Amino acid sequence: MELSLAGLAVKKAVSEGADEVEVYVQKRKVIQVEFAEKIESFKAVEPVGMSLRVVFGKRIALHSTSILSEDEVLEAAKKTVKLAKVAEEDPNWNHLNRKFGKGPAEGYYDKEVEDLGYEEIIDTASSVTGWIKDYDKRVTPTRGILSISTTITSITNNYGEECSRKETNVVIWARAKAEEAGMKGTGTEHQESRYWKGIKFQDLALKTAEKTVKFLRAKPIQSEKMPAIFRNQIFANILGVILSGPINADWVQKGRSPLSNKLGMLIASENVNIVDDGVLNGGWRTRPFDDEGHATQRTLIVESGILKNYLYDSYTALKEGIESTGNALRRQYWIAPQPSPNNLILEPGTVGPDEMIRDTRRGIYIEETIGEWLSNPVSGNLNATVTHGYLIENGELKEPIKGVVISGNFYEILKNGIELIGNDLRNSGENYSPTVKLKELTIAGK
Amino acid sequence: MFQDVSSQLRKLVEKAIESGASYADVRYQKRDSEVITVENKMLKSYSSRRHSGAGIRVIVNGALGYASTSDLTKDGLERALNSSIKIAKSMKSGELGLGETEANKSNVELTIKEDPFGVPPEEKVSIVMEANKASWIGDGIKSAITRLGITKDFRYFSSSEGAEVYVETCLVGLGHDSVAKVNGVMERVPYSESMCAGFEFIRSRDWNSFTSSISELAIEAAGSKTPPPGTYTVVVDPRIVGLLLHEAFGHASEGDLVASGESVLYGKLDKQVASELVTIIDEGVVEGGYFYPFDDEGVKKRKTIIVENGVLRGYIHDRTSSFQFGVDPTGNGRAQDFENTPIVRQTNYYMQPRDYEFDELIEDIDFGIYVKGMGARGGQVEVGMGTFTFSVGPSKIIRKGELAETVRGVVISGMILETLKTIDAVGKDLLMRTSVFGGCGKMAQSVPVGVGGPHVRVRKMTVGGR
Repeated sequence: MELSLAGLAVKKAVSEGADEVEVYVQKRKVIQVEFAEKIESFKAVEPVGMSLRVVFGKRIALHSTSILSEDEVLEAAKKTVKLAKVAEEDPNWNHLNRKFGKGPAEGYYDKEVEDLGYEEIIDTASSVTGWIKDYDKRVTPTRGILSISTTITSITNNYGEECSRKETNVVIWARAKAEEAGMKGTGTEHQESRYWKGIKFQDLALKTAEKTVKFLRAKPIQSEKMPAIFRNQIFANILGVILSGPINADWVQKGRSPLSNKLGMLIASENVNIVDDGVLNGGWRTRPFDDEGHATQRTLIVESGILKNYLYDSYTALKEGIESTGNALRRQYWIAPQPSPNNLILEPGTVGPDEMIRDTRRGIYIEETIGEWLSNPVSGNLNATVTHGYLIENGELKEPIKGVVISGNFYEILKNGIELIGNDLRNSGENYSPTVKLKELTIAGK
Repeated sequence: MFQDVSSQLRKLVEKAIESGASYADVRYQKRDSEVITVENKMLKSYSSRRHSGAGIRVIVNGALGYASTSDLTKDGLERALNSSIKIAKSMKSGELGLGETEANKSNVELTIKEDPFGVPPEEKVSIVMEANKASWIGDGIKSAITRLGITKDFRYFSSSEGAEVYVETCLVGLGHDSVAKVNGVMERVPYSESMCAGFEFIRSRDWNSFTSSISELAIEAAGSKTPPPGTYTVVVDPRIVGLLLHEAFGHASEGDLVASGESVLYGKLDKQVASELVTIIDEGVVEGGYFYPFDDEGVKKRKTIIVENGVLRGYIHDRTSSFQFGVDPTGNGRAQDFENTPIVRQTNYYMQPRDYEFDELIEDIDFGIYVKGMGARGGQVEVGMGTFTFSVGPSKIIRKGELAETVRGVVISGMILETLKTIDAVGKDLLMRTSVFGGCGKMAQSVPVGVGGPHVRVRKMTVGGR
């Protein structure tokens, strides 16, 4: 159905004078439960949409609609051509992706997720709130979302290419609080997986609850420079915030990336290996082809500290006369594709997180931060507030810490700051990292 | 197109009641939007979008079900209705109630002079192109992106209680982002201005001087230092006051977060939560803010006093949270679009101005920082503790009562209730802002909001930096 409607749009656009047309159709089924102490809302929505990219000479326009009726699609095709005709020329435009392909991706669809019944979903969410409550009488679940989606994406263009894929995603996050004699502790946990069984619901509930109690007595510490150990998901977040832009070929070509002109150069210490893996089995953004129909792949970004590659979509690759790395991503169906990481991975080392803590005389263990996304990828200025941390003394986690600010420069950290890379790879969305220990970090506290 | 579906939608509400719902409402939306992006003097994209569909909300045995569709045929709508009923029934039962409200019948349209969708596309492109070109003020500028954004949003609400509300609004704005490099240091300054208005707002401004001033600031910032970390007396400009209040205090005053006990304002009603100079308001229609006369539950959005002279007077509510609190809904039930259910959201959230001139605010500061919002990258808050962290724009050192050198990379953080208590002076100016480029996020829903306030002086603020 999607492809025939898409074919109609292609035909109409060509008859209106388009030189090239790409039609991207997305149909999703999203089931979402929101809960606090009890279930607060439960919904099933079916977002659909068609996005047309029309090229007229070197003029490009994008238009989309969520109404998939024949009339609306024809009108949309006509409108997109009209916009393209008045757009200015992009001298760097070559052509749309003419050859669709498939990478060896696996584990991006789980039938169990698609077939889940409403009852099972609601029971699972209820169990999570129950486990949190039962952990300790001081603990209350305060907010959470369980979201389950099945997405069908179809792409076709005027070169007669077409492809289609079906993906599933499950996300859960939960927040809770503990209260005791005027003190308050909070805790948050989240997990993302392609599979229903990939989420450890009970583990998530217990960790959330445990954190709230542990942080009842948390407080800031004095400002100090000290070694810092980042929990895997937190470092994964930071990795994504800082590096996603600078390794994007579009940023590089436009001189916006601090990593421009640094291919083949040492940008990190030798123990640092970073890859983007679009075919990682079960990866959060694993898929056989990107949002322009190009085959996905595993791309080395940093190998033993040396910058090896940037990430390309068709536009940026053709500009340099090379092959795309299969990194075109539409953040939403109506947004133009942009080079973006598929699964950005800091490759694990051999040290366990416990060992890292044991070997630290004095330092901070960073369990949770907020505001890390405010860090500046251009300058590398890293900033975040630690909402949950521990002071490490003589190899042990001691008093809980909250409300201190960490700052440093990520590029300097990559080069000289990383002491150890853990063996416990984990994802936060599409970003993957193990636990990481930094030699020294500035903590602004009381 | 709407006429075709409106009678269909009303029937849907009736059918929901026949199927066993004790309450039902339906929301239809048609939102047209355009974004024109020019990057480094080249048109990067002309993108346009229509987002339209309907959502139906039912309560069966006290449990809420919701489903939505873009398939506006009779069959499509009925399928959505059946899903919503099935979902509500899968919960067996619940304790959901809705706070009492009048069944409004109203039709409100923002008055605009020139429909932005009637302006020829090439004319819009040329305004953005000229503005982008004007930002290339010297070798220091490495990259510049300019965007023009337009959104026209039509919403219809109909409920089984007899409410029927139509609201149409239009939001336009221009945003610019310059990256400068000075002596190897790169700095980015993003900034935008938007207004609930027609295209006349775009025509009324000199966007070329707007973008060149952003470039000047980027160059100045790239050539400046970061302040040493520590605790400072700061004067905060209205942009950051608005952002800080919205993020660190506004969310904590949302009824659902208070009801669940996760808000730092839980149990603080009628208590002193800020310095007595602080009065905070949430209001649906304010000059410069987002136009929001009714919420997505058909409730009229009036002026809600949250804090009066430092004392917490109330929270903001949707119908669900107002029922839990036994108070009237305040018109704060908002949904991102027809694919989402309304939840408690702020509308235009601001601090009321007082009596200080700007010079009076800084004159007795020996060493401090004038924290500025132009180029700010946003912030994040943990509502449970009231911990906030904000990356603000290039700012100024205050030395011996006067503004001195620019500093970059300034990050402010603190605990909101402590920060608000150390406010010891509030300016007489008031600036409200909204944005067509991004809204406020909560529970994976983004809605446009208005934020604002006067300049304020905060005696103790933690400043991070490098």
